[in-house]
Amino acid sequence: MGLFDAIDIAGSGLTAERLRMDVTAENLANAQTTRGAGGGPYQRKEVVLEQAGGSAFGTMLTGAIGGVRAAESANGVQVAAIVEDNSQQRLVYDPAHPDANGQGYVAMPNVNPVTEMVDLISSSRSYEANVTSMQSAKQMFTKTLELLR
Amino acid sequence: MSLFDSTQLALETALRGSSMRQELLTNNLANINTPGYQRQDLDFHSALKSAQASGVNPTEVSFRPTTDPTRTVRADGSGLDADQEAATLAKNTLEYQALVQVMGARTMIMQVAMGVR
Repeated sequence: MGLFDAIDIAGSGLTAERLRMDVTAENLANAQTTRGAGGGPYQRKEVVLEQAGGSAFGTMLTGAIGGVRAAESANGVQVAAIVEDNSQQRLVYDPAHPDANGQGYVAMPNVNPVTEMVDLISSSRSYEANVTSMQSAKQMFTKTLELLR
Repeated sequence: MSLFDSTQLALETALRGSSMRQELLTNNLANINTPGYQRQDLDFHSALKSAQASGVNPTEVSFRPTTDPTRTVRADGSGLDADQEAATLAKNTLEYQALVQVMGARTMIMQVAMGVR
């Protein structure tokens, strides 16, 4: 356990939330994209976060020898994966659209702007929460350094 | 009598516990969007209290973080409440600062007694 671990942990949260915001922004930007990377309409993407930590083996070994330290169990957060949301695409009737099918329907991305906006607010607030914890850790360390004066 | 009395040693231990707790609370906030995350905390108050009651030297107290697997407050299986975490974090920060303040005052008294100041 180091003195600045709390700052590193808050930093990992900042990175994760920023990535979440990037992905949400990408979803919003591609809300009308009918030609995605895979050929069809754009697929909504989602970030999966997981608790960062040493290997499962390391955690179990530490548990077995009875030495649980905060540094072993608290390592912040990391991005596990960016997964595609495979929910149903929206079919919009627009016969004039170049990507319309035989019946005149166009498959639009499964992006719901309202959901994306809510996600955006959520990641923005979580980012702020991490900034707050980083600031209070900084305050604590500054206070400790004052002991040396 | 040694230079540092048991109060000073207990203060040091409390400081150690408080900074460890800060780390855990920061980790909780960093994992605010992790599905199924179980919140971690450290009750250093009762660890210190029971050590003092049984006459153990405060410097020998070892802290053990706890996870709460039963608590689920959100649909994604996470046991975290953002407001509660933020409040606990603020409280712990203040407590740490208070501990440092008291420690500084006690050191000052000692310095005055020794004629350093």
